[in-house]
Amino acid sequence: MTRSRLVVLSALIVVGVGVVGALGALYFDPARAAVGPLPAEGLALPGDTQFVMGFDVHRFVASPFYQRFGKDRQGQGRPPGFTELEEKTGLNPERDVDRILFAGRGVEKGPEGGVLLVSGRFDRTKLSRAIETETKGVTSKSHEGTTVYLFREEVGKKTGAAAFLDDDTLVLGPRESVEATITNYAGGKAPMRSNAALVALLESVKPGSTFWAVGDQSVLSRLPLSIPGATGQGAISLPPVKSVVVTGDLDPMVAVELTGEAVDGKAAQNLADIVRGFVALASLQASQRPELKELASAVSVTTDAARVHVNLRVPYELIDSLSGKRPMAANGAPESR
Amino acid sequence: MRDTSRPVPFARASRAVFDLALEGMVWSRRSLLMAVLLGLPIVFAIVYRVVLAAHIPPRVTPFDLYGAVVVFYYLRNVLPLAALFYASALIADEVEGKTLTYLLTRPVRREAILAGKFAAYVATTLSLALPAVVVTFFILLTSRGRVGLGGAVPDLLRDLGVLALALLAYGALFTLLGVLLKRPVIPGLLFLFVWELIANLPGYLPRFTLTAYLRSLVRHRPAEEGISEIFGQVLPAALCLEVLAGAIIVCLAAAAWIFSTREYVMDQ
Repeated sequence: MTRSRLVVLSALIVVGVGVVGALGALYFDPARAAVGPLPAEGLALPGDTQFVMGFDVHRFVASPFYQRFGKDRQGQGRPPGFTELEEKTGLNPERDVDRILFAGRGVEKGPEGGVLLVSGRFDRTKLSRAIETETKGVTSKSHEGTTVYLFREEVGKKTGAAAFLDDDTLVLGPRESVEATITNYAGGKAPMRSNAALVALLESVKPGSTFWAVGDQSVLSRLPLSIPGATGQGAISLPPVKSVVVTGDLDPMVAVELTGEAVDGKAAQNLADIVRGFVALASLQASQRPELKELASAVSVTTDAARVHVNLRVPYELIDSLSGKRPMAANGAPESR
Repeated sequence: MRDTSRPVPFARASRAVFDLALEGMVWSRRSLLMAVLLGLPIVFAIVYRVVLAAHIPPRVTPFDLYGAVVVFYYLRNVLPLAALFYASALIADEVEGKTLTYLLTRPVRREAILAGKFAAYVATTLSLALPAVVVTFFILLTSRGRVGLGGAVPDLLRDLGVLALALLAYGALFTLLGVLLKRPVIPGLLFLFVWELIANLPGYLPRFTLTAYLRSLVRHRPAEEGISEIFGQVLPAALCLEVLAGAIIVCLAAAAWIFSTREYVMDQ
């Protein structure tokens, strides 16, 4: 082998090892899931789900956002109510809950509305006892071999339900939705996979985001198509949006990426121009509140064919200055000056 | 025994030219300079990790820095420059050194010579650029632990593909310039640092540049200033791939046609 070929081969090995290592990191990443950020149990959600939101509790609790705004009013200790909740149920949300998913099925579904999936480590005995003793009017029944707790089981009223899908997953929501999820999970069905539009949106979610949300046309069609003008007179027409994907991170700053898909490139351009207009309005207010200029510069808007990308990156110092709060140290305590 | 009245088969001839050209390209002062330029981000990543990480405001994440390195350093500046200096010289160097006669008098098709030399250019530049990108990625992305590393992997794979595509596209264009012009470097530099700036203008003008298509293919959108921030647009990925593939094929075909039909007169 010539020296040149040896150089090329060495480069190939470096790239190959790097790619294999990277794929290994991706494979073992805790954020890796069945479909995009949706875990395997999330696939048991009803197939007619119109939007899904996810929340990584561990990342949230570890974020500077939680350190600053998640504590009690004195800025120390745990949020109010957590201690009591732990005493009654054995559940410490900061420590025990990994992930929260909410799947919405649209207003017209009525009592068959959204489902909440909470993943984590639960003391089932203590939690079940707490539900039975601490909640008024709770009854239970067995569905597909799973105990379902029913709340407010009265004629003419929506019946709420809660059940353990498995040791690590709690499902809450209207009775019909909870039962449908249990049926799907017990039968090994994955109706969410049949929702091709939503699956495509889920696959576009950035892995490892602290929070994310995706919604298809059916849920967005109910959004208002006009908003009042800046002077209060007239209205600004909003182009219809087919889908929306939101991802966000809270460390080291609040970073939100929103991608909306309009019906065509022209509508996307219109939508982008409207967002840019609002950003420009914020900039104009900079003479009165200089921090607004920084906020405006934290927003960037780009278009990609029929898609509009809005990126918001807000440092915590800016949030503090906007809210008139004193900057906080990393441990959550106000900085001494 | 080979029929010496007929040219050597295309694949064999290209391979022989590839070996010859690779040896000349890899072990050259040009490659040394390019290796330094392409490897600079590794040095930057190490400095960032050791010194700067504590001083840079937390709003700039390692992933942001990596994105800026890929978009501004590699995609916009150094890879096009590498393509210009290597690809424009594929034939021009032989003409300049008056060694083209030795190649053209061999029983090989001229297209095979160009194909072999272009393959050697691709192998050399990829060997210099891609390892540097991978190493930079790992040094930067692991500077705050392994958090977020897995999430950034799809971007790394995408970046590697786009950077390879950039070397192919600019390489094909500058190969064409190299066979077309006697001194292709100045027009090439003008193309890179004047013409390509229209990628920042509004409307359809960016579609007449290569950089607009390449930049649209990567997911990094580092903050820019001035008109590029205002008019920044992302072209559809399918369109970008079609245009870049078309540009590569057209430029290489034109270069092969010109090279195979042109009469080269060596100055004495």
